[in-house]
Amino acid sequence: MRRPIPAERTKSLERQGRRRSTDGKGDRSLPDGDGQSGNEIEIEAVGKVFGQGDTAFHALSGIDLTIRTGEFFTLLGPSGCGKTTLLRVIAGFEHPTSGRLRIKGQDVVGQAPNQRLVNTVFQNYALFPHMTVAQNIGFGLKMLGRPRAEIAATTDEMMHLVKMEAMAARKPSELSGGQQQRVALARALAPRPRVLLLDEPLSALDLKLRKEMQTELKRLQVETGITFVFVTHDQEEALTMSDRLAVMNQGRILQLGSPHEIYHAPTERFVADFIGETNFLTLNVIAVQGRGADLALPGGRTIAARVAEGLTPAVGTTVSAVIRPEQARIVPQGTGELSATVEGAVFFGTDTHIHLRLSDGQPFTVRRQNNDDLADPAKGETVGLSLTPGALQVLRG
Amino acid sequence: MASREFNVRALPGFGAVAIFTLVMLYLPIIILVIFSFNESQSQSAWGGFSLKWYVAAFNNSQVIDVSIRSLWLALMAAGIATVLATLAALATTRVGRFPGQTMIYALINQPLMVPEIVTGIALLIFVAFLKVQTGYAGMGYMVAAHTAFCIPFAYLPIRARLETMDLTLERAAADLYATPVQAFTYVTLPLLVPGIVAGFMLGFVVSLDTVVITEFVKSAGQDTLPTYMLGQLRRSVTPEMNAIATLFLALSLVVVSLFFLITRKRG
Amino acid sequence: MKRDSHRWKWILVSPALLVLILAASGPLLIVAVYSFLSPGNMGGVAWDFSTDAWFRVFFKRDIFEPENVTLNADHLAVFQRTIWLSLQTTVICAALGFPTAWFIATRPANRRMIWLFLITVPFWTNLLIRTFAIQEMIRNTGTLNTALLWLGVIGEPIEMMYTDFAVLLGMSYVFLPLMVLPLYAAMDKLDFRLVEAGYDLYASRFQVLRHVILPLVKPGFIAGSILVFIPSIGAYVTPRVLGGGRSMMMGNLIGLQFGQGRNWPLGSALAMVLLVIVVVALVFYLRITTRETGGRDGQS
Repeated sequence: MRRPIPAERTKSLERQGRRRSTDGKGDRSLPDGDGQSGNEIEIEAVGKVFGQGDTAFHALSGIDLTIRTGEFFTLLGPSGCGKTTLLRVIAGFEHPTSGRLRIKGQDVVGQAPNQRLVNTVFQNYALFPHMTVAQNIGFGLKMLGRPRAEIAATTDEMMHLVKMEAMAARKPSELSGGQQQRVALARALAPRPRVLLLDEPLSALDLKLRKEMQTELKRLQVETGITFVFVTHDQEEALTMSDRLAVMNQGRILQLGSPHEIYHAPTERFVADFIGETNFLTLNVIAVQGRGADLALPGGRTIAARVAEGLTPAVGTTVSAVIRPEQARIVPQGTGELSATVEGAVFFGTDTHIHLRLSDGQPFTVRRQNNDDLADPAKGETVGLSLTPGALQVLRG
Repeated sequence: MASREFNVRALPGFGAVAIFTLVMLYLPIIILVIFSFNESQSQSAWGGFSLKWYVAAFNNSQVIDVSIRSLWLALMAAGIATVLATLAALATTRVGRFPGQTMIYALINQPLMVPEIVTGIALLIFVAFLKVQTGYAGMGYMVAAHTAFCIPFAYLPIRARLETMDLTLERAAADLYATPVQAFTYVTLPLLVPGIVAGFMLGFVVSLDTVVITEFVKSAGQDTLPTYMLGQLRRSVTPEMNAIATLFLALSLVVVSLFFLITRKRG
Repeated sequence: MKRDSHRWKWILVSPALLVLILAASGPLLIVAVYSFLSPGNMGGVAWDFSTDAWFRVFFKRDIFEPENVTLNADHLAVFQRTIWLSLQTTVICAALGFPTAWFIATRPANRRMIWLFLITVPFWTNLLIRTFAIQEMIRNTGTLNTALLWLGVIGEPIEMMYTDFAVLLGMSYVFLPLMVLPLYAAMDKLDFRLVEAGYDLYASRFQVLRHVILPLVKPGFIAGSILVFIPSIGAYVTPRVLGGGRSMMMGNLIGLQFGQGRNWPLGSALAMVLLVIVVVALVFYLRITTRETGGRDGQS
């Protein structure tokens, strides 16, 4: 579904030129090749401050981010972390207090939102209540002055895309939440933007609908090749849908990377804690070599751990290390790297969480799939823990 | 950053027109007030600062007479109207549809819809008739006319207040063994007070300001301040009129400020 | 039980209704009746049925040739002036009031109270005083003329008093707050995210105004228009003070019959005509508003 960008209305839009979106069909690894031209959005040292003096609130600080053309990029974080503010800066509704913003190489900070080839799916959908579904969807093209025939054709196409053909003459107040969401999506896609910004679009939907829409959105993004910038506080959503994601907290980006990297190699305590479940261990550094360190485990053994980028732990100091619950297995006592006492087990259907305590008192959780009939270890029993090699990661915090 | 922030709330030129309008709105009044302090009689040439027109106004027995009558009338009319409006509001708010509802609303809102001149002459006829029949020519007619006119103005804020009140509070009172009367006295009424006060103030100002109805209902010697002023305007006007107007203005300002404080604070 | 509560309602409401019927609505019926009577010798009425009053509202009979019936040009001029000036007033108030309401609605929340206060004060100031203020400005020896003379812009004072212009100026001045307040109320409820969505979808400022803002504040606009139009039609004080005998509006014409005119039936008939015009305007207003809300709820 690659189409040329609609004819721009203003000079600055013209300057951005007509480009075909890069071929992202089903290909998660994106062309990055010649640096600048693969970058859709470049955010440099952006900060946003609300208010002044004592009551100044730093919504964003030192945001450095490059979003590549055709990727599904997610901003993930708890409410108040600044992700929506960053989205609004990209859209043009907020003016960054400092820093630069470039879309397709062009500085856009001075540009009004109606001049940027960026469209937004608002959190509350913001559908025009006095217009029908069809009129809502066609609104952007109408504002751009496209001929009526084109507007009608594109509107039909969009309604077909989001499966809302039957509702063309309805008003938003007559639609369910899920239907409104689809109309909002169609409305934002109709003008064929280069970038689509989605501000927690699925947060108001119930679980089943959410999952359906996640699949839909992902499919749409791959088919159209439009760069998606997706904002959510749901880490599961972020992990399943994104090509890359940025974890934010208190106005800063804590970590940027692919879902796999973020999950398995968190660099900050907050990131490790926010995403999935994790075990936090406080351990002593015995030796350091390259990007790895040897840590002293309770019970005497040593284990090789990865060290997060930018960290240089000193020998003899205590550091925080994390390992995911599914990266440890329960083994017979005496074997494995650690020894622990079982405190309890919780059944989760697909898997079981076993809570243990290590010999130095630190808590530890092991997650085990229930794909066999192995009995859970008894409470009070002492067992061994085997850790997946290379899974332990030293991080900040 | 050199470039200006995009403000979704700005519309080109609107700010300028708005400021212009507000200035134009106040300009005549400000000039009126300024020239009330004019030493000379002229309405356009400044002769120096003087309070003599205020002194003249205060010494003018006619002015004092009509002012007192206006205030008395306003207090009476607003007072009675507020009581009646409160009862009416209690009866008509927070209840489902009931027979006769439309008619009641029509009656209550009628003074707002029907031009004052029509009500004025209607009352003129009626009062003339009653005067002949009963021989009574006192202030009663004016009080009745003003009260009727004030009722919708008192009704609106009370109703508004009642509608936004939390029903569960009264239910809580009932749950705690209060009888309907007690619930009303201890829960509803105190919470309603800001609305009642607002209604009274609104009625008070409306009664003070009424010109047309008063003009047609009054008998000789029953002038209120506005009708007195209207009469004076046909003859030559001295800055004494400015002084009276300014005082009247000051009173309105006080009432508006009070009204704002009371209604906004409760939010 | 239901009947009991109904009875209570009526008991509570009746004092208010009684006063209203006696001193407001009831007398209107008397007016209707009087319009079909004959004028009394010294003012008042004579209880003789006559349609002469109604006839005289629209027509004139030549004194010397009673068969010669023509349209009452004076009366018609008054009717026309009333409607025309009221329409103009509404338009002026809309043109000035809309930006003013918008301005107030877009002030930061902590400052808004001040602006609301500023627009409310004139609204609560006595009509007569405001009209008087205008008079002082536009009189031949008033502020405006004096200033223009002093500046040398004009050689002699511009005659502004006792003209249609003066009445128009006065009414616009006096009724402006009535347009601003309902408009402000509607704008206050406006979801600005819809405005953002408009800009996000490439609308220019003008397009956003036309396609997003105006449709959404229409109810406030209509309410404001009616709140200006109806009092304008029934205006008495402003045209009397500023228009004198030359720029009479219907209200003055009616009042005249109960003063110098000494024709109570004619005055009553004229009052009924005015009432009819007001009712028509109100019905029109109700039609528009129910159409708006009906359309929005929609049927599938």
